[in-house]
Parts: sequence; C-alpha cells; structure tokens
Amino acid sequence: MEAEQVSDSPTHPLTHSTIRLQESSFSTFSTSSTLSPSFKVDEGYSDETRSQSDKELVATENVMMLPDWVLAQSESDRAELAYSLLRSLSTSTLAGLVERINPLLHMDPVFKLPPELTFEIFSYLDAATLLNATLASRSWRTRILDSGLWKVLYINEGWRADLNAIRNFEQEHSEPLSPQTRRSRPHHSESDIGEPKHKKRVPPTWLTSRSTEGQSVIGPNGQAHPEADNEGDHHMADVNGTHMSPPGDLNILQPTSIPQLPSMLLPPLHPSLLVRRPNGTSKVNWAYLYKQRRRLEANWHQGRFKNFQLPHPMHPEEAHRECVYAIQFQGKWLVSGSRDRTLRVWDLETKRLWHRPLVGHEKSVLCLQFDPSPEQDVIISGSSDRSVIVWKFSTGQKIHRITEAHTDSVLNLKFDHRYLVTCSKDRTVKVWNRKELSVTDEDYPRVCKGGSANFPSHIIDLNEVAPSMLEAGLANSKFKSLAPYSLLMGIEGHGAAVNAMQLHGNEIVTASGDRMIKVWNVRTGACLKTLMGHEKGIACVQFDSRRIISGSNDNTVRIYDHISGAEVAVLRGHQNLVRTVQAGFGDPPGADEDLRREALEVENAFWKSQQEGVPVDLGRRALRRAGHTSNTAGSRDPRDISALGAKIPPGGGGSVWGRIVSGSYDESILIWHKDHDGVWSINHRLRQADAIANASADTLTPMARAAVSAQARQLHAQAATGPLGPAAGPSLTPVPAPAAARSERESETEGMNDVLATPLSNTQVPGPAQQVGEVAQPRQPNGQTTPQADRNAIQRQQQQLANAQMQAAQQLAAPHHHHHHHQRPRVPSPAVPTSRVFKVQFDSRKIVCASVDPRIVGWDFANDDEDIIEACPFFQSL
Amino acid sequence: MSTITLTSSDGVDIAVERAVAERSVLIKNMLEDLGDSGEAIPIPNVNEAVLKKVIEWCDHHKNDPPSASDDDDNRRKTTDIDEWDQKFMQVDQEMLFEVILAANYLDIKALLDVGCKTVANMIKGKSPEEIRKTFNIQNDFTPEEEDQIRRENEWAEE
Repeated sequence: MEAEQVSDSPTHPLTHSTIRLQESSFSTFSTSSTLSPSFKVDEGYSDETRSQSDKELVATENVMMLPDWVLAQSESDRAELAYSLLRSLSTSTLAGLVERINPLLHMDPVFKLPPELTFEIFSYLDAATLLNATLASRSWRTRILDSGLWKVLYINEGWRADLNAIRNFEQEHSEPLSPQTRRSRPHHSESDIGEPKHKKRVPPTWLTSRSTEGQSVIGPNGQAHPEADNEGDHHMADVNGTHMSPPGDLNILQPTSIPQLPSMLLPPLHPSLLVRRPNGTSKVNWAYLYKQRRRLEANWHQGRFKNFQLPHPMHPEEAHRECVYAIQFQGKWLVSGSRDRTLRVWDLETKRLWHRPLVGHEKSVLCLQFDPSPEQDVIISGSSDRSVIVWKFSTGQKIHRITEAHTDSVLNLKFDHRYLVTCSKDRTVKVWNRKELSVTDEDYPRVCKGGSANFPSHIIDLNEVAPSMLEAGLANSKFKSLAPYSLLMGIEGHGAAVNAMQLHGNEIVTASGDRMIKVWNVRTGACLKTLMGHEKGIACVQFDSRRIISGSNDNTVRIYDHISGAEVAVLRGHQNLVRTVQAGFGDPPGADEDLRREALEVENAFWKSQQEGVPVDLGRRALRRAGHTSNTAGSRDPRDISALGAKIPPGGGGSVWGRIVSGSYDESILIWHKDHDGVWSINHRLRQADAIANASADTLTPMARAAVSAQARQLHAQAATGPLGPAAGPSLTPVPAPAAARSERESETEGMNDVLATPLSNTQVPGPAQQVGEVAQPRQPNGQTTPQADRNAIQRQQQQLANAQMQAAQQLAAPHHHHHHHQRPRVPSPAVPTSRVFKVQFDSRKIVCASVDPRIVGWDFANDDEDIIEACPFFQSL
Repeated sequence: MSTITLTSSDGVDIAVERAVAERSVLIKNMLEDLGDSGEAIPIPNVNEAVLKKVIEWCDHHKNDPPSASDDDDNRRKTTDIDEWDQKFMQVDQEMLFEVILAANYLDIKALLDVGCKTVANMIKGKSPEEIRKTFNIQNDFTPEEEDQIRRENEWAEE
C-alpha cells in the first residue's frame, strides 16, 4: 500500500523556505516528515511547529523578526542566548512564556506520522479507547475510522468473517453504477482529498522501508489476506461532501483562515456497509462490520431475540409428523431428520419446505450431515434401520444406500471430502471412502495389525506388498480401486453404544455410553487417547482441535484439553441428560501461545500455593470439609485445579465472547458465557415451548391472530368448564397416537436411549418404552411428581393453544395453498408432554433447536435490527 | 567484531558495531547485497541525534533473540513495554516521533513496536480533552458534532 502512496512523492523543494524561524510559510507543513534533517540543525527547534495545528500556528505568527546575527549563531549558541534572555525576565513573565512555549513541545502524531504508522499505534488500542479518541479532532476521527484498522480489531476479538462472501459482495458492487449499487444503502466514496496529502507526507524511501513488512492480517482460519488496498489511504468521505471544506490535514494549508466547517462529518456519523472508491470499486467497511458484530453480541448477552419456527406457522402441514432427532444448517439451508422416517430440507429465509420430504429410510432418521456447495451437493443420513443413505442435496434424489452399514442403529455420522465415518449402537465406528480410492492414494487406509481396527479383506495391507508387486498388481488390475462408500475399516474399542462422534482432520473423536471419549486416527484406526471424567454415559461430543467438549447423562458438560487429555471444566446446570452441545471459544489469532502461557501461569500459581502451604491438592471432598466450595467451571483458584499439565487454562480459554450452547432432556437450552473471572456461567435458559408461542405470535398476520385469539378464548372457556380433549378443536383430526403407530415396530431404540441402556449408567430417564408410554398417559417421572405434573398440565394447555393457532392459520391459508400431501395436515399431537431437546446448532446470529416437538424452533439474536441483519451474511460463528 | 560506518542525513559519520547495525533489516540487507566495502553507508532520512538514539537502542538489544517479535502480527497486542525501553522512550515528543519514523525507515520492527506502544499508552485512559492537550490538538468539532459522535459511539459501551 505504501507503494501506491509514495510512488510519485515529490522531494519537496519548499523546505528551503523554512530556514527562518519567523517565516510562517505554511505551505511546507505537508512536508514535515520528509524534512531533510540538515535544515533542522541550522534552524533549530522551532521549525517543528510546522507539524502543529492552527492554534499554535496562529501564535507563531506573532514571533518577531530576529536579527541576522542571531540567526547566524549555532543552535547551542542560540540556546544559550535564549536562556540568558529568559533569565533576565521576571518570574511571572517567565511563567507566561512557559505557557506559550509548552504547546511547542507537544505535537500531533496524526500530522507528524504517516497513516501506516498511526495505524500501527492505533492497532494497540481497543475499540472503546479508539472511539473516544475520534473526538480529539476531525483528522483523528478520519484516521481512526479506517476500515483496515477495524478489520484488525474484528479479527483480534476472535470473531470470524466469511471472507469469500465479502469478496463476492465487493465484486458484485464494484461495477460502476450497477443497479444493485444504487439500490443498496447510502454509499460513501473515499475522498481523493486524502491521497495527495499522503503522497507528500511520505518520503519515497518508505517504499523500500515498508515493502519488506507486508501488513497482512491472518484470520483465525489461517488465511492471509493482504491489506494492500484498504488501509492507510482509506478515507471515507461522503460523495456528496466533496464540495465542502475538507477536514483534517488540508486545513493546515490555509491556517490564516480557520475554516468554518459546516456541521457535517466525514466520514459520516453512522458508518455504512460499503465504501465506494473513486475508481468505482466498493469495499466492505470493517468499521461497520465491527460495530454490528458488537451489537449482535450484545443482543446475545442481553437475551434480545426474535423467535421463528420451521415450518412457517402459516404452513403447519409442512412439519415433520414426529419428533426431530437431527438438524444441521448452513447458509440459508437447514436439513432435518425425524422419527417420521423422512428428511426435510428447509429454506431459512422463507421458513418453508424446499422440496418434497426425502423418503427412503425405514425407521427413524437419527443423524445427518449435508454440504450444499455445488462441488459436494450431498446429504448423508443414518437411521435406526441400520442403513446410511446418500442423497443429492439439490434434488433430494437418492444416490447411494449402504444397507447394513451397522448391525444396529446408526447413531451419528460425519464426513469430509475423503471419508464418511459412522458410529453405532453396535459399539463400533466405521470408516468409508467418499471417492473412488486406489491403493496408491494418500487416503488409502494403513493397515495396523493388532490394533483396534478390523480391516475387511478387500483392503490391502501395504506393509505386506513389495513396491514392485504393488506396481505389477496395479498394472494387471489385481489391485482394483475401491468404489465410493466401500468399508475401509471397522473400529472396536468402546464397551457400549457409540453415541456421538466428530471428524477433524485425521482424527476421529468418539463418545460412548461407556463414559469414555476416545480419539482415533482415521487412516490407521489406532486409538490415540482415551479421556475419562464423566460419571455416566456420554451423549454428545465436539472437537475444535484444541478442546473436546462433551455432554452426558451425568447432567454435565465437560471440557477437555485435547493435547493432555486433562479435564479443564465441568459445567453444571442441567437437571437431566445433556443430549447436545456446541461450543465456540472465539480464539483470536495466535491463540495457541496465549493458551499455553495462561495454562502455565495457572500451574505456577498452583505450585506456589502448595509451597506456601495452602491445601491445594487435598481433593474436592477434603477441600469441601475445609470450607472451600470448589468451582469447576473454569476457576483459576489453585484449589480448584483438578488436573495439571494441560496446554489450555481452566475453562478452556478463548476470548471474552466465548459461548457454549447445550440442550438437555430437562427441556431447556442453556447459553453459557464466561463471567468476569473467566468462569463459565449460565447466561440464559431457553425453552422450546416459549419459542413456539413467540414464533406463532410474531409471524401471524393480524387477521390470523384475531382468529387465533378467538379460538384461544373458546379453548380457555372449555378448559374452564370441562376436561381438555381432542374435541377441543372442532376440526382437529385426532392424531393416531404415536404409541399405537410405534407398537407395530419392534422396540426401536432411538438415539440417546443407548446412553441409558448401558450397564454403567444409572437409568434416570425413561427408556424407549417409557417414552412411548408417556405419549398416552401423563408422565410421572423422576420423583418430581407435583411440579412436573403441573408443568405438564400447563404444557398441555399451551399445546392446545398452539394447535388452535395452527388451525386458524391453516384455515386462513387454505385457499391459497396447494397441498401436496394426501393426508390432512397433521398438527403435533397434543398428548406429547415434553420438549426434550435432541439437537441444537448455533451460528453468529441464531440458535436452532430440534426436540420432541415436530416443529423446529429458532432464536434469532439479530432481533429484527436491519443494520445487524445487513452485516450478518459476512459473519461466521465463534 | 567488525565495525561499519553510517552517515547521518546531516553528514555526520558514526562508527557502529556491525552486529548492532544489523538490528536494522534495511542495513542488514544492504550489507548482504552489496557486501561490506568499508565505505560509509548513508542514512539519508535520519539525522545524527536520532540515529545515535536508535543505535543506543540497537546496542542494548543486540543480544535479543532474532525475530522475537517478527511473528507477533498474529498475536493479540499488549502495550506492555519492558523497563529499559520505557526509560529509553522518555524523550520529547519530537524525538519520540522521529525515532518511530527512523525505526520504520530502517526496518527495526521491535523498536517500531516500542515506539508505537509508547504513543498508544499516551492515548489510553484519557478523555478527548486530555488527548488534545497531550498532543496539542485543536478541537475542530462543533459542540453539536461532539455530542452526535458521543451518542453514535454508545454501542461500544454495552
């Protein structure tokens, strides 16, 4: 960037005119930093006033002419002369002089230093400090509201941005006067006023001096993006404003007339998303992105959101027929898998079903993953029918089916471009290839005998084949390539159902009902480590290369250091099995080193306390007796440290924006954040039923709402006079009790029941049979009879209300709607008593939740704020 | 221990240990590219006083592990400055800014960082009026504008 600024930078001859102290030749101001130092020696200190602002310049104008003989003296002689002169003055005169001279000792870095150096300075400061400093002056404000600077701030917060989306958006809006550009929000071009200034201020030598220091910023994704064209010379002036007196440095050129600036700010008061450059290109303004991300994070923190549901409340017929076990969303698409045996693809913008439900599984869809990118265009799903189906995302067409993928329910699966990994209730993990795979391919499995992996006979042990044989074998087609979705290996090692897994690089992380988490190598099947800590079966696991996060039937969420296996946090807050968890730690760039340092500090503090005789290593029970209530959610108190040698600090580290969202069979979703001491604490507790109620209330038209409330009144009247029953809604088709539907099937076990089915876990949660039973009769679980029963009653009422709403909506929508289902649209059974959470996913803006309720609900923390929504497409999760 | 000569912009020759001078990537590259001919190397952008100050810093830090701070673009920045550097930077503002400019020109990343941190610390924790005073800045906002900007900035306080 420097090159651009300085390429034609003049070596300014005007510096010569400043030899004399009394000459206020202000045209030389712009050259202060290029000033040849030889002149400084001759003319002394005062010429530095050239880099000062108007006030002081006005003052220097009053300096009287000095006789030539004085000017002829050397600097030190003149200093002596001045000192003698000063000594001849009275103290009060002297004090006045000091007052006058003092400003000469202070100079404005924004004038003295070129933009790339103030950029360096400002990059050490936080957003609040910088915003405060924008009030110093117009030039400060202009320099600080530099897009490149806010990009650095954004990335250092640990927030992620979709750089591809930004690039595409910029390109799209860079065609001069394209219709899109005109349609979108106000644009502001950079003022070209700024450029000559920089060119003059920066000497040609900056070109060479800076060229070795490329100021690229590395994003958390490790991708370097050169800042070459959007920093330093980045002044965002309104196009309309170019006729006005320019702000900042240029004013210095006419110091005798202090400009009467109109009350208009450049850059404009409110940053806009796009900055238009004079050459017709547009750039996303990171100051805007930073601001909106910050406001979005504040909404999360304060619990400000709008609810939504899938399907749209006006189209209840699009809903799954039964509970939803699996969801994943990406961009505008969400894919769900249900106990109703189907998968559904939703458009998150319209909240509508995108194409017909994907039919193919013979039992519940328990897990899925999809990739909507044109290169992949795939959904893969696993079911309790033991099969895995590969679908084409864009068409819903079935591409491939692995019929007996496992000998029992496929509980989870993950894929990348190389492998599909599945795990099952049959206690095994299996690895499959996604593409045709030849023996010589890098991704071909490496047979490792005596390990935990079993390799099918079609896998060739490369250790036993001589290189020459290999070539011959390939030549005569003895070694055939493996067709896509061939079994590469089966991994055994867990003592119970493998409930959840993650694939990350070459590592598979699995979580099982046997209370253990294991890490495996995807190419050899070797078990790399085993993590313990949970007191009951584990239901879910996530892995981000630094930490492993898991949720368990012991009602806790735990965080482990991936490297050492140490447990660094236990989050207690749920009252029942934690079925689903997602964590975002918001690691800023260069986090590994910071994490290690923090971990080391904690450990040193531990040893120090021990040396000082503090009882730090007595174990929790002894500490409790000693009056210390241990905090395991990330406290750095030496007494709370349960494992040493971790490479991450207690709590797992990360930025202040870190967030964990967990969903439980206790029917709640918890949002965890770090408090001031870095300890995880519950920020918000969300409930699916509340979300449903809000979503329908928010989305219904006034007419529909009127109809709904009329029905609700009717319903309340009925509730007051008689028992609630299917008859409550006149046109409500009694839904066949799921219990009945289910009884035909053999005792199908769903998802996490396996956690409970293991011998190691004390079954607290009703098993499948019980769960089905609940549908038919009021639930009496867990000894919480009274409050639970009350809540069930309330929930039933809410359910009735919701059903009434749906019906009303349906009736209103009916004339416009063409049904593609033969059956009458079904509404969720009013008899379903719980909203156990099966799956949550969050991104920068929203949480989406799948539960026993067939309706998928979401919390949108953009909270209908237009500015935040405009910036959201460029945000990525923590 | 070889010594080289640098010529400041005001024509003063300064002898300096080569290892010290090579804290400057600019000088180091120059010596590598051109070889040490024994001739004085002109430093046209830095005067004697500033050059001596810079050499003082390089001399103190000549044994620092190389590139200790070269990769810190990837790190969250702190404004902590070690004690010696803090004292070293206790100079008048002109010298401070000249040292920053010289460090940038001579490509001495660690010194540039120390200089920039020093200025950053002069901004930290100050009210706008205090910042203006510190750097002799004239407030060119109208009271209404100041008020508007303050309100616009409130989002950062939540």
